[in-house]
Amino acid sequence: MSTYKIPVGPLHVALEEPMFFKVEVEGETVVGLDITAGHAHRGIEYLVAKRNIHQNIVLTERICSLCSNSHPFSYCMALERIAGIVVPERVEYLRVVADEIKRIASHLFNVAITAHLVGFDSLFMHVMEIREIMQDTKESIFGNRMDLGANCIGGVRYDLDAEGRGYLLAQLDKLKAPLAEVRALYETNGSFLRRTKGVGVLPRAEAIRLGLVGPVARASGVDYDVRRKAPYVVYDKLSFDVQTLPDGDVWSRTMIRLREAIESIRIIEQCMRDMPEGPTTIDKTPEIPAGESIAKSEAPRGELIYYLRTDGSDKPERLKWRVPSYNNWKGLQVMLTGAKVADIALVVGSIDPCISCTER
Amino acid sequence: MKDVEVIVTRSLAAAAADRYQVNWRTDVKGVTTGWCVLDDKDELVAVARALTELSARLSTITAYGAEKAKQTGKFEIAYHFDLDGDTLTVTVHIPVEGEIDSMTPYFANADWPEREMAELYGIRLRGHPHPERLFIDESLGEAVFDQYIPYSTMVNAATTKGLWEKVLAKGKEQVAK
Amino acid sequence: MWFLPVLIRNLLKGPSTEAFPFGEAMTPKKMRARIAFDPESCALCRVCARICPAGAIQFEKRPDGLEFNLWHNSCVFCGLCTLYCESEGLHATGDWHLSHPQSEKYDLVEKATVKFQKCSKCGKQKMPAPLPLMAKLYPGLSADEIERLRAMCPQCRKAETAPQDGGTQ
Repeated sequence: MSTYKIPVGPLHVALEEPMFFKVEVEGETVVGLDITAGHAHRGIEYLVAKRNIHQNIVLTERICSLCSNSHPFSYCMALERIAGIVVPERVEYLRVVADEIKRIASHLFNVAITAHLVGFDSLFMHVMEIREIMQDTKESIFGNRMDLGANCIGGVRYDLDAEGRGYLLAQLDKLKAPLAEVRALYETNGSFLRRTKGVGVLPRAEAIRLGLVGPVARASGVDYDVRRKAPYVVYDKLSFDVQTLPDGDVWSRTMIRLREAIESIRIIEQCMRDMPEGPTTIDKTPEIPAGESIAKSEAPRGELIYYLRTDGSDKPERLKWRVPSYNNWKGLQVMLTGAKVADIALVVGSIDPCISCTER
Repeated sequence: MKDVEVIVTRSLAAAAADRYQVNWRTDVKGVTTGWCVLDDKDELVAVARALTELSARLSTITAYGAEKAKQTGKFEIAYHFDLDGDTLTVTVHIPVEGEIDSMTPYFANADWPEREMAELYGIRLRGHPHPERLFIDESLGEAVFDQYIPYSTMVNAATTKGLWEKVLAKGKEQVAK
Repeated sequence: MWFLPVLIRNLLKGPSTEAFPFGEAMTPKKMRARIAFDPESCALCRVCARICPAGAIQFEKRPDGLEFNLWHNSCVFCGLCTLYCESEGLHATGDWHLSHPQSEKYDLVEKATVKFQKCSKCGKQKMPAPLPLMAKLYPGLSADEIERLRAMCPQCRKAETAPQDGGTQ
């Protein structure tokens, strides 16, 4: 049979973000894939070297929308490590709360999109409606639906008083029952299973060879979660299960995200229970000496790593970060080989790709 | 001394004898970061091979020092490896016109970061399977971080002067409270 | 598991979207929207212009003071200016109604001149010393005392406070 090359993208492959695929097909089976990136390259790595350290908290928050909090969070940790700042314990809890709220909203977004990509639009809208509980929570606690503005050097910019804690717990309670119902739906609904089981398979060995991270790797049985392997803030004190599944297909990746969203509720509830009273920021203006540091965190899409080098001035000498999606694109070459043309968008969507993150 | 320090130090010694410096930091949570500088960039391959045996994962690669490179004549490239949660950063120095061995034979995911540093800094790769552009279009020159700065310098990576003239001319004074 | 029961439940519940622009849309108390500037509470330290990541704040020299300008179309609602403003001259309001025709885009400016003042003692021109900032600096003083001090220039204020009680702070 002869092979053809078909262009997929750059617009609207799975999301409203541009990535261009040249797909080689034999009949309706994919046999090769070439990824062309660069449509959303904004030169942010150059920009951060021109802005002062405070402005960069805001700039890094705008690298991505769904994992926006992970960026300033990791960046602040990198700065604090260079300056030797120890943040108050309450800050560590509040940082976990902000990050986990974002994780729930991010995971539910991808889970909803997956339903849309299999043509199950009523389920898509149902999940988006549930996710709206978290969007309202973000807006009410932080003042914005996407960019929380939760972090500053040596602290956080928000606090939860008794009323705030009560509100947050009530919102989580509101989320629990519909989330459990949705999980059961994704686990057992025939229409969904037929489109996602055994589709876009990534074997464990390939996930390790290609250095994949996050829910994509964990759905292929790679037991790696930064929160467990390299604990930061108070994750070492919190009880949560790292979710893994063995099959590495689209269904597994969706289920990992649903389960992690449920785990995140547990984590936030523990924070509400254990969070001590105390200040929400260090009480002096931070001074950042010359130095270098690494800060890692588990963003919704996996390991996020920040490398920072400072020279004692108020601008970073070099600030480099690698987002989880950057690594995960490589997995598509394996997942799509042997897949049907009709499943391309579904498989691309299942790695929860973030293009503005990847290209910066 | 943590296990990771002992094991990695042993591997580094086997790969690069005494032609490296390494120091370790462990934070309050017990997470270790190692900082290793190789005397010779060509030792990198041996170190990479040793790290694959420790099941290291390449996290990312940072190339930097573009402005400094003009004075000192060399770039710094830092390779960040993940060792089951701990991080080892291996730094090498290469001359401005120099080449660096590709890590792709040992770490498949070195592909993109290497192509990115090639297009942004003009660093030449040795042995990369397909060293094409990653994000930047072929029609643009090499080392865009160096060459295409003027626009950003002009606007100081912020709103332009011309824009502000319009804002200042049209905006109305609010009534003082 | 069948989706049909969920679908029917959702149908009976009716729309869950807000009826905007025909009805009210949710605006939480903590909403970070349009920034408001209070010239009475500005110390002209200009830290806001230095840290604004969007370059949305600019100070212009005027004969009698400095004119504060914040162009809402550049503002990214990060709230950094309100965080760093020690004298509480900048606040995020809950007003998110910022849509406007293209022809009016340059009108969307928060603009006010903060005037230099004359020291009540030596008569020299001085920067304003807003009440919220002075209240933080001299938490032990009475309102009258703070009013008297903030009408002075820093030199006269120092001469007034230091010799008598060796620093009121």
